Amino acid sequence: MPINQDNRSHKQRLFYLRVIFFLAIGLLLSRQWFLSILEYRRYQALAERNQFRTVPLPAPRGLILDRDGRALVQNTFGFALVLFREEAFELERVLDFLEANLSLDRERLERRIREANQYSLYEPVVLQQSLSLEDMTFLLAHQSEHPELGINRRPRRIYPYGEVAAHLLGHVGEVSGEELQNPDFGSHRPGDIVGKFGIEKAYNRRLAGRSGEQRILVDSRGKTLQELQVTPPAEGEELGLTIHLDLQLAAEEALGDNPGAVVALDPETGEILASVSHPGFDPNAFARRLRPEQWEKLISNPDHPLQNRVIQGLFSPGSIYKLFVGLAGLELGVATLDTSAFCTGSIMLYGHPFRCWHAGGHGRVRLVDAIQHSCNVYFYLLGQQLGIDALSEFSRRLGLGQPTGIDLSGEVAGLVPSREWKKETTGNPWYAGETISVAIGQGPLNVTPLQLARAVGIVATGQTPQLHLVRGNQLIASQNQLDPPGFDMAHLKAVREGMWRVVNGQGTGAGARVEGLDVAGKTGTVQTISNRTRARLGEEVAAKYTPHAWFVGFAPRDDPAIVVAVIVQRGGSGSQSAAPIAGEVFRAYKNLALGAGGELAQLKAPSAIH
Amino acid sequence: MLHRAWFRQFDYLLFAGALCLCAIGLVGIYSATIHGADSALFVRQAIWIGAGVFLAFLVMAIDYRFLTDHALLFYGLTMLLLVAVLIFGREINGSKSWIRFGSFGIQPSEPAKIVVILTLASYLSQLNDNYLRRKDVAALAGLTLLPVILITMQGDLGTALTFLPILVGTMLVAGLRLKFLIFVLVVILCVAPLGWLTLKDYQKQRILVTLNPDLDPNGVGYQTRQSLIAIGSGGLMGKGLGNGLQSQLGFVPEIHSDFIFALLAEELGFLGAAAILSLYLAGLLRMVGIGDRANDRAGILIVTGVASLVCFHVFVNVGMTLGIMPAIGIPLPLLSYGGSSTLAMFMALGLVLNVHSRRFVYSEASV
Repeated sequence: MPINQDNRSHKQRLFYLRVIFFLAIGLLLSRQWFLSILEYRRYQALAERNQFRTVPLPAPRGLILDRDGRALVQNTFGFALVLFREEAFELERVLDFLEANLSLDRERLERRIREANQYSLYEPVVLQQSLSLEDMTFLLAHQSEHPELGINRRPRRIYPYGEVAAHLLGHVGEVSGEELQNPDFGSHRPGDIVGKFGIEKAYNRRLAGRSGEQRILVDSRGKTLQELQVTPPAEGEELGLTIHLDLQLAAEEALGDNPGAVVALDPETGEILASVSHPGFDPNAFARRLRPEQWEKLISNPDHPLQNRVIQGLFSPGSIYKLFVGLAGLELGVATLDTSAFCTGSIMLYGHPFRCWHAGGHGRVRLVDAIQHSCNVYFYLLGQQLGIDALSEFSRRLGLGQPTGIDLSGEVAGLVPSREWKKETTGNPWYAGETISVAIGQGPLNVTPLQLARAVGIVATGQTPQLHLVRGNQLIASQNQLDPPGFDMAHLKAVREGMWRVVNGQGTGAGARVEGLDVAGKTGTVQTISNRTRARLGEEVAAKYTPHAWFVGFAPRDDPAIVVAVIVQRGGSGSQSAAPIAGEVFRAYKNLALGAGGELAQLKAPSAIH
Repeated sequence: MLHRAWFRQFDYLLFAGALCLCAIGLVGIYSATIHGADSALFVRQAIWIGAGVFLAFLVMAIDYRFLTDHALLFYGLTMLLLVAVLIFGREINGSKSWIRFGSFGIQPSEPAKIVVILTLASYLSQLNDNYLRRKDVAALAGLTLLPVILITMQGDLGTALTFLPILVGTMLVAGLRLKFLIFVLVVILCVAPLGWLTLKDYQKQRILVTLNPDLDPNGVGYQTRQSLIAIGSGGLMGKGLGNGLQSQLGFVPEIHSDFIFALLAEELGFLGAAAILSLYLAGLLRMVGIGDRANDRAGILIVTGVASLVCFHVFVNVGMTLGIMPAIGIPLPLLSYGGSSTLAMFMALGLVLNVHSRRFVYSEASV
C-alpha cells in the first residue's frame, strides 16, 4: 500500500455524495410533506373508510293488525349476505368462492353488483337475502379469508297465519330495478325489502319505515372490533285493518278447497271484514327466499293462486244481476211492484226461444216473486223493456264495471256492455236479442266479487260508502266514490223482500239461512259455455266448464250490518255450493256479534283511528 | 490494538445517532405488535441490536487496513458461502437466501455487502491515479456483479440491487470519467430491457404499479395504497403511538419490517417522519465527514461504500412506503425488524467508526 497516497481528489469528490444524499432525503421529505400535509384530508377520509364500515340497519316494517289489534303480519330476523365493494379487491375470486360453496347463481350475483354500481361504493351490496343456518356458519368460518363479505342481520316478515288472507296482506320481496326508478320507492336502495302485492304494496310507504345505519370498526380481516354511532332505524307505521280475524278464518274455512272467493263487508261503513281468494299462497315463502321451482309452481298453476279473485277475478253476475234489473225497472218507472209476467218455462223473443231455468214455468209472477224464484222470463221481459242503454247506465250507478277504489293495487274494472262498447270492440251494432241475456246477468257482463258485494250493499242500505281495508281510510280514492243513488226506499224494500224470501221462503238460497239472523240474499249460476256448446262437447269435456256458483246476501234484513259475496268457480249451482258457504260466514258473524244479552251488536268498533 | 487514544477518537455522535434510530425502530416494532401474537419480536430485535453493537466494536477493534489487506480472502469465502446457500439454503418467501443454524437463520447476502465494500476499497487503494481506467471499471464491476448474480439466483432481487449503489458510489468517489459514466449509463439502458425479460411476472407488475398506482389499486397496488393511506392520514402530528389504526388493524402488510416507516409516519406524523429522515441525513453527512478526514483512500472508500449503501436502503425503502419506488423488499437500516440486516448495518457502522478512530494513525507514525 503506497504511503502518503494523494487522496485530495477523492476527498473533493465526496461532494457528489453530499449532493446525492441531500437530494435523496430531500425528495423523501417533500413526498412526505405532500402526503401527510397537503393530501392529509384525502388520506384521512380514506383511512376512515378503510377502518369503518357503514352498515345499514333496515327498519322493521310496520305491523299489520286486524280490527281487534291482533297481528296478522309480524317481524322476525333474517340474515343477509352483503358484499363491501370497496374491499372486494378480487371480485372474481369472491364470486368463485360463493358459487362453489353456497351454490349461488353467478350471473345473479354479477347483476346485483352491477346494479349497485350507481350507488356509493361504500354502501354494501346485498348478495343474498335470508341465508340458511348452514350457509351462515360456513361464511363465519371463512370470514378471515373473505373480509369483504359480511352478514347483516335484518328484519324479516313473518305471516303467522300462513295462507290466511294472503292475497289481502300481500307479500314482500326485494325491490326491483324498475321500482327503484319509481318515485314512490325513491328512498329505497337495492337490496331493500318492499311490498310487492296486497296491503304490503299499497301501503309500502307507510309500512316501510326509515332504515338507520351503524358504523363498525373492522380490522383488515373484516372482523368487527367495535360498534359505534348507531342511527337507529325508524320502524314502519302500524296498520290497523278493518278485517276481523275470526270472521276471516271462518270464511277461509267455509270456502275450503274450492277455487273461488269470499268477501264480507260492512255496507254502512265500507269496511271490509273478510276477504278470501282461493287457491292461495304462503307469503312466508316470499319473505324467506322463494326457490325458482316454487315460483314456477305458483305461476304455472292454471288456477292462478297469485290472483286476488276478490278484486281481480272477473265473472258474469248471473242471476244476482236480476236484483239490479228489478230495481232499475222500479226506479226508472218501467215497472211497478204489481207488474207481472206469466212464465211458461220459456219465451220466444226476436225469433229465438229463451228458456227459464225452471222448465215447468213459474206461472204468473210479480217482481218480488220473480226475485224469490229467480224467474228468467220475468227479467227477460223487463230487460227488453228497459233496453241496453238504461241497463248499462243503471249498472254504473251501482258501481259495476268500474273499480271500487279499495285501498289495494291491481283492482280490475270489469265490464258493463253498452252500444258504444260493442261498436268500438266489434264494429257491429248492438242487437236487441243480446239485451235479453244481459238481463239475467249473462253475456259480456263482467264484475268482480267485490263490485257485486258493494252493489248488493247499496241495495241493502241505499248508501255508498267508500270501501276500505285500513281503518281511518274512508276518504281515499275519492274519484271512485259513488254518488248516493237516492233510491226510493219502497223500491229497495221490495227487492230486499225478494232476497229475504230467497233465503227464508221457498227460494234457492235456503243454504244461507241462519238460525237467529235474518239473512237475505240471492244465488246465481253462471254458465261458462252455452247449452248448445255443452251438447257439442259432450259431458266429459264439458265437466271442465261446470257453471260458477254465486251467492250474495246481507244480514240482518232490517238493519244490514254485513254483506257477504261468495263465488265458487265450477261450483255447479249457486244454491248448492255458494249459499251454504255464505251461510257459514253469516253464522260466524252472528256468533261474533251476538252480545251477551242476545242483542246483535256492531262488530267491535275500532279502538283508535291511526 | 485498542489504545486509550482510540476511545478518545470514537465518534460518539454517529454512534448515538445510530442507537437513536434503533430505539425508534424498537418503539415502532413494539407498537406494531401490541395487538398481535408476535410481541416477542420486540425483545428479539433488542437482542439483535445488542449483538450488533458488540459486532460493531469487534469490527472497530481490527484495523481497517488489516481488513482491506485481506479483503480478497473474505471475498472468496463469502462467494463460497453464497454458492453454498444456493445449494443448501432454505427457501423462505420465495427466495433461497437463508442458512439455518438451529433456530437462528442467517442471510449471507447481508455480510456480503460489507465484504464487497472492503474488496472495492482494497482494490482501489492500490491505485495511484486520480481517475479510473477502463480495466479498473471492468474489475470493480466484475467484483460487484458476481455476488449480485449469485444473490439474484437465490431469488432475492431486492438485496442483489443493494450492491449496485456500493459500486456506483465507490466509482464516483474513486474518479469516474464522464465518458465512463456515460458508457455505464448506456450499458444500463441497453441491459435494462434484457433484464426486464428476466424478471418474474410479479416483479414486473410491482414496478409497473409503482409507476402507475391506479393500474391495479386493489391487487398488487394494495400494499402501497394502504401504506400511503397510513402515512397520509398521519398528518402533521400523527395519531400517537399505538393509535395508528391503519397500521394496527393490519391494513399495511409487513408493518414491523419493510413497512415500519409507514407505521411511524402514521403514529408520529410528518414531524416524526421528518425527524427520522433528518437523523438519517445527519448520519450520512457525518459519515461523509469522516471520509473527508480519513487518512487514506481505503478509509475514504470504505466510508463511501457504507454511506452509499445506507442511503440506497433508506431511499428505496422509504420511497416504497411513500409510493415513489417499486415495492422491493429491502429493510430500513436499523429501524426494520430483522437480524441479518441489523447485524450487517452494525458491521458497516463499525467499519466507519474504525476509519474515524484511525484517522491520525499515519500522521502520528510519520511524526
